[in-house]
Amino acid sequence: MKHLLYRQRVNRSASVDFVIFVFLAGGAIFTALPLVFAISNAFKPLNELFLFPPQFFVRNPTLQNFADLFTLMRQSWVPMSRYITNSLIIVIGGMAGNLLFGSMAAYALSKHDFFGRHFINSLIVLSLMFAPAVVRIPNYLTIAWLGWIDTYWAVIVPAWASTLGLYLLKNFIDAMVDDSLLEAARIDGASEFFIYRKIVMPIVKPAWLTLIILTFQQLWGVTGSEFIYTENYKTLPYALDQIVRGGIARQGVGAAAALIMMAVPIVVFVINQSRIVETMGTSGIK
Amino acid sequence: MKKFKLGLMEKRNLKGYLYISPFLIGFLCFFLIPIVQAVVFSFSELKIVPTGYTTTFVGLDNYHRILFVDPDFVPILTNTIINTIVDIPAILIFSFFIAVVLNQRFIGRSFVRMVFFMPVILSAGVVIKMEMNDIMNQAMVQEASFMMGGEYFLNLLLQLRLPAGFIQYIVAVVNRIPLVIEASAIPILIFLAGLQSVPTDLYEAADVEGITGWERFWMITFPLVSPMILVNAVYIIIDSFTSYRNEMVVFIADNAWSRGGYGVSVAMSMLYFLAIALILGIIVGVFSKRVVYIK
Repeated sequence: MKHLLYRQRVNRSASVDFVIFVFLAGGAIFTALPLVFAISNAFKPLNELFLFPPQFFVRNPTLQNFADLFTLMRQSWVPMSRYITNSLIIVIGGMAGNLLFGSMAAYALSKHDFFGRHFINSLIVLSLMFAPAVVRIPNYLTIAWLGWIDTYWAVIVPAWASTLGLYLLKNFIDAMVDDSLLEAARIDGASEFFIYRKIVMPIVKPAWLTLIILTFQQLWGVTGSEFIYTENYKTLPYALDQIVRGGIARQGVGAAAALIMMAVPIVVFVINQSRIVETMGTSGIK
Repeated sequence: MKKFKLGLMEKRNLKGYLYISPFLIGFLCFFLIPIVQAVVFSFSELKIVPTGYTTTFVGLDNYHRILFVDPDFVPILTNTIINTIVDIPAILIFSFFIAVVLNQRFIGRSFVRMVFFMPVILSAGVVIKMEMNDIMNQAMVQEASFMMGGEYFLNLLLQLRLPAGFIQYIVAVVNRIPLVIEASAIPILIFLAGLQSVPTDLYEAADVEGITGWERFWMITFPLVSPMILVNAVYIIIDSFTSYRNEMVVFIADNAWSRGGYGVSVAMSMLYFLAIALILGIIVGVFSKRVVYIK
């Protein structure tokens, strides 16, 4: 017994920890560089932004860029809150539909054996392979035919049918949900919806929390300018883009806007990940 | 009539249709119909006219033009495929390793997780795509070469009198490190979700039996997360082949609005799609036999 304990301690030696730390720190520093740069850029006065060669760190930090941005936002023709609301409608609507329909379909495709299941599965994998540019024109035609041009639906509904989430969830359900657990539930008289909602979804919670991040990330940057023409329905990225394009002197405003656009997904990511942390999966069978 | 009576199991399985139908309708409208339409376009010449567009059927002309007339298509295609195949193992190993480390408890874990997710946030921000990109790149290159001493490193290798081929390989690998780290962001998340879904009771039982950390990793964690390796392999392939920065995607998009025209560009996408499907088929075939599922 003593021997065993000794071996276990050796397993995680200080030197291995150190190597892991160095490796992690190296990768982290590398990916953190653009973040640090974006933050420091947002606080640079104009004369530093135009320095050549560009400086990585800010020397005389100033809040002028943010002040300018808010002034410009207040002057805009449609109030900024309207753009923010539009963005939220599109992001939340698209995300919720994608998660609900995707997970329901994933559950059925993974655990029900109906006719055509394998065919649908392979169609989904195939659909993942098309570069989005290919279907851009046909997609526009479909949406025009449905009469959704210039409405939120033009962006929200196609997001519901995005196959990446379905593929991800289906694989997690395949891998992590035990068939015998579902059988036990059925014997106890659980309905299909109860099984989906109370058994399958909690087990794959880490998977759908990850999916939420991915969808949020995708929809947050959507300008929707292909489908939406009325100024009142346009999104926040579009509005900020227009402000920043006002000229070369808007460089500082652009840096501030970039930081704001980045901050939102970061906050969502951190909240989302902190919800995964303590919910270590259990198969439910003990 | 008796023939059509369904058993209990069939009835239950039929409920599956209920669950997939909302998704299936959307899928038909926004993926299948557009894709079928794109296939039709690939055999025709599309012209924009004031009232909309017209198509004329041209048979295999578009395909002939791509494969035998266009001098760029085939080299770009092979180049893209080779690059992706080289990157897949590197991305898989790197992201798996990082996910395992990030799954352990340490101070500042969620910050480090966020940092590894940064490339995705940065590449999607619309505002950032603008002029800032150039400036950022310049500043980054400067900083990076200062930190790693780029030329100094190359000189060192040259002074060691290593064979030229070997030096080229090392430099190529070092150059791809940023790409590998960037492409790992989402695979890391997927692996993390996989690691967190492993049932804890298995670990508890193993601990009672007196398992070592090494055995615990290779006999429980690794097999149970192995389906995610397949998922990630598929994801990495799709992500790198369809990303806006992919050489081939840029080339196809260029063709849609200038050069060959929309018909030719769609035909290119079809060939490209066939190539991806082939690679994906091989990889799924190799992996899926070795993957473990809880059942």
